[in-house]
Amino acid sequence: MATTSSSPSMAIPGQFLGPVSKFQPGPGTHIHESNLYASLLGVVNIAQPAKAPGPVKRLNKIINTQTSPAELPTISVLRAAGSSDKREVLPEVGNVVLCRVIRIMPRQAVVAILICGDTVLEAEWQGLIRVQDVRATEKDRVKIYDSFRPGDIVRAEVISLGDQASYYLSTARNELGVIMATSEAGNTMYPVNWKEYKDPETGLSEPRKVAKPY
Amino acid sequence: MADRRRINGPVGTTIPPIYDDASEKKSEGVKTTRSRPANVIRKMYLKTGVTPSASGSAYLEIESSGNGGSGLKLSCSVHGPRALPRSTPFSPHIILSTHVKFAPFATKQRRGYIRDPIERDLGTHLEAALRGSIIADRWPKSGVDIIISIVEGEQDRETSKAQGIEAWDTMNALSGCITVASAALADAGIDCVDTVAGGVAALVQDAGDDAAPSIVVDPIPSEHEKVLAACCIAYLPTRQEVTNLWFKGDLPASDMDLYSQLVEKGIQASKSANWVLVDCLNETVG
Repeated sequence: MATTSSSPSMAIPGQFLGPVSKFQPGPGTHIHESNLYASLLGVVNIAQPAKAPGPVKRLNKIINTQTSPAELPTISVLRAAGSSDKREVLPEVGNVVLCRVIRIMPRQAVVAILICGDTVLEAEWQGLIRVQDVRATEKDRVKIYDSFRPGDIVRAEVISLGDQASYYLSTARNELGVIMATSEAGNTMYPVNWKEYKDPETGLSEPRKVAKPY
Repeated sequence: MADRRRINGPVGTTIPPIYDDASEKKSEGVKTTRSRPANVIRKMYLKTGVTPSASGSAYLEIESSGNGGSGLKLSCSVHGPRALPRSTPFSPHIILSTHVKFAPFATKQRRGYIRDPIERDLGTHLEAALRGSIIADRWPKSGVDIIISIVEGEQDRETSKAQGIEAWDTMNALSGCITVASAALADAGIDCVDTVAGGVAALVQDAGDDAAPSIVVDPIPSEHEKVLAACCIAYLPTRQEVTNLWFKGDLPASDMDLYSQLVEKGIQASKSANWVLVDCLNETVG
């Protein structure tokens, strides 16, 4: 793994990585007195920033190509892949998560967050989709029973850390919503349009807030 | 204390086999003295990843004193970060909970299944020591459980109790707990500022009229005539910070410096233990 002359390739908590002037802090590091130290046990990863666009061929404009602070390489410590990849992540605001609906109530749906980003979560995090976060339009006329049912798999986005029991999630975008649903007869349904799933065997449709397939 | 959930052994103490050597060869006065230099700690064996079902785990073994005593053997497992129970109020940082338990067979005098005050004490000190090293606000609304099981307690607890020096063994146990918990936390992937290790230093008085009290590191109480005071330190080497300091005993009023000297030696002991810890973690990673 390519490393600069001063930063190590493996790190233990408390190991010095580099000064703040040379690197941006990434996950698994912390800053103390203008220096970056590792806070996890694992391999050091240095991500080069996205290349700034080269000088544009414009005769009458000078583009500033100096390295701005946002273009320092990001140094992070990732847990070694050999330890069966058990790194637990926490759902953070802005993450897209997959969850299963557990309970529906008149003004909210309670879900269990299963996958955050690409990581299958080990801990039992609970989430809440409130009625005003189901859709972006006509928020006052949403019916939870017509948007989710218990057992559906939903793709949602974390909007807030929430209260003591659950995270707050939102499905108010086209690509968020129910991605897998089972009909009352017990068959897996396929989506028809943004608000319906159809059972192929019985031919009946059920209302859901459907996620737009990629 | 009727414990109906388990199949229990016989109620009350069981008598371990007593061998001839122990009672006949050792007369009351014969006691081995400390063989190590005053600044050297005992050899340790530390390994991480011993419990596959836990998020992180570690095992520590400290060699025995050699005069028929047993060494210290600790097993630590860390579960977390996990979601807090619903009833817990919102917390913007991780909630640490520590449990230290002597196994019933760990000491010569059989212990009970229920935590006694010594174990609670160890748990509280351990939590204080680790709290200084965990970066708590990276994990809001989460909890981490650290469970330490002392599989073999140090040395011959029968002699300790008889000589009234039981308290000093607890110090050694605490320093072992801190080191092993630190290794298990690093194995579990919980953000820590630094690797914290525990060390014990004691002011002891050896037999002999001309012996002045001296400070030794990693003491074994039965090797000395009398232990006057001891202190257990949890130290962060990179930041040079002490996260927990537990001091017990009486210092003679004649020497004002003794307290700071004792703490200095404790920090030295902790640094020595930290070398073992760093070595072990480097082996785990690379």
